[in-house]
Amino acid sequence: MSRGRLTAFLRGFWYALMLFLYAPLLVVVVFSFNSINSSARFAGFSLDWYKRLFANDVIMQALWNTAVLATVSTLIAVVIGGMLGYGFYRYRLGRLSWLVWLIYLPVIMPDIVFGIAEMTFFVLINQWLGILAPGLGTMIIAHVTFQVPFVALLVNARLLALDPSLFEAAQDLYASPWQRLSAFLLPTLRPAIAASFLLALTLSIDDFVISFFTAGPESTTLPIYIWSAIRKGVTPEINAIATLMIATVFLIAMLSMLGGRRRRTSDT
Amino acid sequence: MSEPAPPMQQRARSASSIGIDQVSRRFAADAVALDDVSLDIQPGEFFTLLGPSGCGKTTLLRLLAGLDQPDSGLIHIGGRSMQGVPPHRRSVNTVFQSYALFPHRNVRENIRFGLEMQRLSAAEISRRIERTAALIGIDKLLERGIDQLSGGQRQRVALARALVNEPDVLLLDEPLSALDAGLRGRLQIELRRLQRQLGMTFVFVTHDQEEAMVMSDRIAVLNHGRLAQIGTPQAIYEKPADEFVARFMGHENLLPIKKSDATGIETPIGRFSGDFAEGAYLLLPPQSLILHRLDQPAAPDCIEAVVDECLYRGGMTEYRLSCSDWPLVATLANQGRPGPAAGDRVRLEVVTRAAAVLQAEGDG
Repeated sequence: MSRGRLTAFLRGFWYALMLFLYAPLLVVVVFSFNSINSSARFAGFSLDWYKRLFANDVIMQALWNTAVLATVSTLIAVVIGGMLGYGFYRYRLGRLSWLVWLIYLPVIMPDIVFGIAEMTFFVLINQWLGILAPGLGTMIIAHVTFQVPFVALLVNARLLALDPSLFEAAQDLYASPWQRLSAFLLPTLRPAIAASFLLALTLSIDDFVISFFTAGPESTTLPIYIWSAIRKGVTPEINAIATLMIATVFLIAMLSMLGGRRRRTSDT
Repeated sequence: MSEPAPPMQQRARSASSIGIDQVSRRFAADAVALDDVSLDIQPGEFFTLLGPSGCGKTTLLRLLAGLDQPDSGLIHIGGRSMQGVPPHRRSVNTVFQSYALFPHRNVRENIRFGLEMQRLSAAEISRRIERTAALIGIDKLLERGIDQLSGGQRQRVALARALVNEPDVLLLDEPLSALDAGLRGRLQIELRRLQRQLGMTFVFVTHDQEEAMVMSDRIAVLNHGRLAQIGTPQAIYEKPADEFVARFMGHENLLPIKKSDATGIETPIGRFSGDFAEGAYLLLPPQSLILHRLDQPAAPDCIEAVVDECLYRGGMTEYRLSCSDWPLVATLANQGRPGPAAGDRVRLEVVTRAAAVLQAEGDG
């Protein structure tokens, strides 16, 4: 039965996929609780590496940098991207509507190219004007730049899914321009804004390539720290950092999924 | 905070007249949506804008709501010029074709939207919501989400959301077009009754001529952005101004007038004597044609025809006939007697006082 064999093959494929996706993560998590300094033999459960982690000033500084970078860049990107997404919607039929495509460049551009370009650009500006020395500032600008398209895309998609007469209904029901923003547009877009906030946050926490090229000596983030530490070998300490990052990203993903489910039951 | 509003029933006095004076609207150089339309709507009138899609009826409604601006011409509501007045400053509310209910708000929150925007007091808001919900019959639905409502219920919520503001004018953009026939008929009667009760000026847009006739005090028929005819349902149906209006109102028996003189007119199916007005067509509405079987005693001035098709329509049967190779439609009430069958020869008695002479399209 070819159909039965196809089903068996697809099922096998699914299990293989899950194995290669989650087993490495599981190894990292398990060895982060190892009592000895080895990523090959598990000698017993301990929280030593986590204690060391939190005692390590360099790592704590990197964690702080990651958090500041992710939070600040995401807040800026959500505001700019949200307005952009609305602007694209509002003027989608205009003569310059094709300009929309320019914003999606960072989505398809390889990170390495984008990172190198940003670095070169910041260095040039720094030489000419003496501002934008590599550091958290340049990283925030770079992160906002690649986060904005994702936010704009999500907000725009939500707007396109709305009945266009809703905007007119709000006007018709006596809402002034400001009231339309606060009583109609923002509440209607809240699910899309929340989803894009969480997406932009994970994108920033995740990012290594662009951060690497735009960072300064004082602005090491967790991914950069891990990369530099790993050249001396994978230690259980790194496993512990990785485990915390996995947990954080999972938490954000869960939040976003729960929000999505609530939206589906309460919305149209 | 604010003065308690009078009950809705007492608001008839504040119903507003609408003046539309030489209004034109072009969307592109060659696309004229409204061409020099002038009409007046009386306070408390149920006024319908009727026409096929693209005739400009929705454009005119949007101009009244302030959602679009005329290129030329003036609009007055309640004697006040609406030039430069944005939608949120007009005492006009709209029931949208898609209902446009806010998805993030439940029924009560949808209805209170307009009241919130006007910053009425909480007590006044809840008083008005209760009253309107009872009036429309949705008091049991107030805490429901929008996605938990049927089509008819959504329609009622959209109506309540507009009426709760007690506007001077209520605009309705094909509000019943998404509903099935039975519900649609019931809501037509309900809307009509409600309008009478409130004494509010209603401007209703539809492409359904039967709906327009059932509901309206007066109808304006629009064709390609121009006003084709304005009048009572009876006047529009029985004395259509031109060929377009006649065909749009469902008339099929339009006979070109070949010759006319002082004693009568000549048509493809024969000569009719009498004093007829000047015009291009003789209109014979179904009620002007009385069908006789050949074996029945003949009335004077009968013409002969052959039955091509019988269409059973419940209360009556519609007969598609050929008369001197010219197609005609006549009806016969189904009263238990067998009627003529396809292929039968019949006699037609023409009641000329129920006939009308009308102009070619655009001449009127």
